[in-house]
Amino acid sequence: MIEFDNVTKVYANGTVGLRNINLTIREGELVVIVGLSGAGKSTFLRSINRLTDITSGDIRVNGQSVTRASGSQLRRIRRDIGMIFQSFNLVKRSTVIRNVLSGRVGYHSTLRTLLGWFPKQDVELSLDALQRVNIREKAYVRSDQLSGGQQQRVSIARALAQEARVILADEPVASLDPLTTRQVMEDLKRINRDMNITTVINLHFIDLAREYATRIIGLRAGEVVFDGTPEEATDEAFAEIYGRPVQQDELLGGA
Amino acid sequence: MKSNTTPVTGKASGSAFRARIRFALTALIVIAVYYWSIQGIRFEGIQGTAGTVSKSILQGFLHPDWSFVYIPEGEDLLRGLLDTLVISILGTVVAAVVCIPFAFWASTNMSRRLAVSGSGKIALSVIRVFPEIIVAILFIKAVGPGSFAGVLALGIHSVGMLGKLYSETIENIDRGPQEALIASGANRLQVLRYAVLPQVIPQFLSYSLYRFEINIRSATTLGLVGAGGIGTPLIFALQVRNWNRVGIILLGIIALVVLTDLVSGWLRKRIT
Repeated sequence: MIEFDNVTKVYANGTVGLRNINLTIREGELVVIVGLSGAGKSTFLRSINRLTDITSGDIRVNGQSVTRASGSQLRRIRRDIGMIFQSFNLVKRSTVIRNVLSGRVGYHSTLRTLLGWFPKQDVELSLDALQRVNIREKAYVRSDQLSGGQQQRVSIARALAQEARVILADEPVASLDPLTTRQVMEDLKRINRDMNITTVINLHFIDLAREYATRIIGLRAGEVVFDGTPEEATDEAFAEIYGRPVQQDELLGGA
Repeated sequence: MKSNTTPVTGKASGSAFRARIRFALTALIVIAVYYWSIQGIRFEGIQGTAGTVSKSILQGFLHPDWSFVYIPEGEDLLRGLLDTLVISILGTVVAAVVCIPFAFWASTNMSRRLAVSGSGKIALSVIRVFPEIIVAILFIKAVGPGSFAGVLALGIHSVGMLGKLYSETIENIDRGPQEALIASGANRLQVLRYAVLPQVIPQFLSYSLYRFEINIRSATTLGLVGAGGIGTPLIFALQVRNWNRVGIILLGIIALVVLTDLVSGWLRKRIT
């Protein structure tokens, strides 16, 4: 469960990232955040695990305040939140399994992780995670040998190996072609359903949002201007979120 | 259309004129500096013995003193070259390790304040100021003549260059993995170990090997000032004009440098 209480974020240069956000994301939901670029989607997502600090208000994940947490407390909270990025953020010259295992470091002492001694269960957990996204056979391949879609699946496996209860995905398919886009979205949807992992995804394709979300939140200039089911998110509703009619390049197509 | 193009060409010819002036001024300054430098040295002409000396040097190269290659009692070519090789290996290893903290200190993306990385960069520049031969002379005064002074001289001097190259490597890494590690709850050291080091270590190794290639050349000259290696028999042979011995030593140096270059180049290709 993720709770936003009067959350406001103003950047140092005066730009408003988020304006007085109040909402609750329940366990197991698959929420898609939509909005124009600059509307605050990334700020919204990155404030949940405090990669971005908020200016005022409070954010709680599973009842614990992220805003007030410090040091090891914050790291403990982050351990339960997996994150998937547009650019995958893998160490390209490390093997796939190394990258997936790196999601486990929050569970072990610094000394143990510095030496690279991961317990056997961690390796099995990582291989299982890779199995779940269907690339187990690539475990010992260097990451830069993989296609974009495969690399994104490795980063999903990293979040799974982390045993995250929440997954945040910041434009996870923006650098993928339409076919792999659907595969990655299917993976995220399946993991959300099968493992009951609360999932929050930033997307700019509105047909994808309607297809995969259980709930759509629309942001405009840092404010929530839409919050409803995919059925309620009509073209008119999107025109309202964007402040203009929906354009062709905001549709992935080929459903 | 016409009124549009005219001012453009006018501006272009203006800047062309300025470029010509700048070129003329630069040329004038270069000529002046060169003239001034020529004034600085006294040209005393070629010595009368130049011809015979040149001939005996050439004779030495053509008839190298093969007996010097191996002498059971020691102080021969092989042992000198081995000494040089050992000095450069040790010096490079010392530098490759010592420069790591300096490199992180000097990297702008590893500290929030610019003053921190700035002072690191200055420290590395200061270390780089003196050539290894000067550093070697200083160390000979400190630890006495011999290979140890050579190792220290090479090690310290290489820190300056390697630290700079390492820190540039660190500054050029992809920030994405760091962010991913932070997001998964890693602490600073864990981020360093799993996001930073895997990205920089291969480049570090490659630069160290490159520095090793430079050090093996430097190590041959260290002996000239008494810091061990093949330079010591070389300077002795030069002083007594034993050209046959000079010839074999220079041949030995060529063989050593070519061989280490081959090995190091092969290794560097495999790393990246």
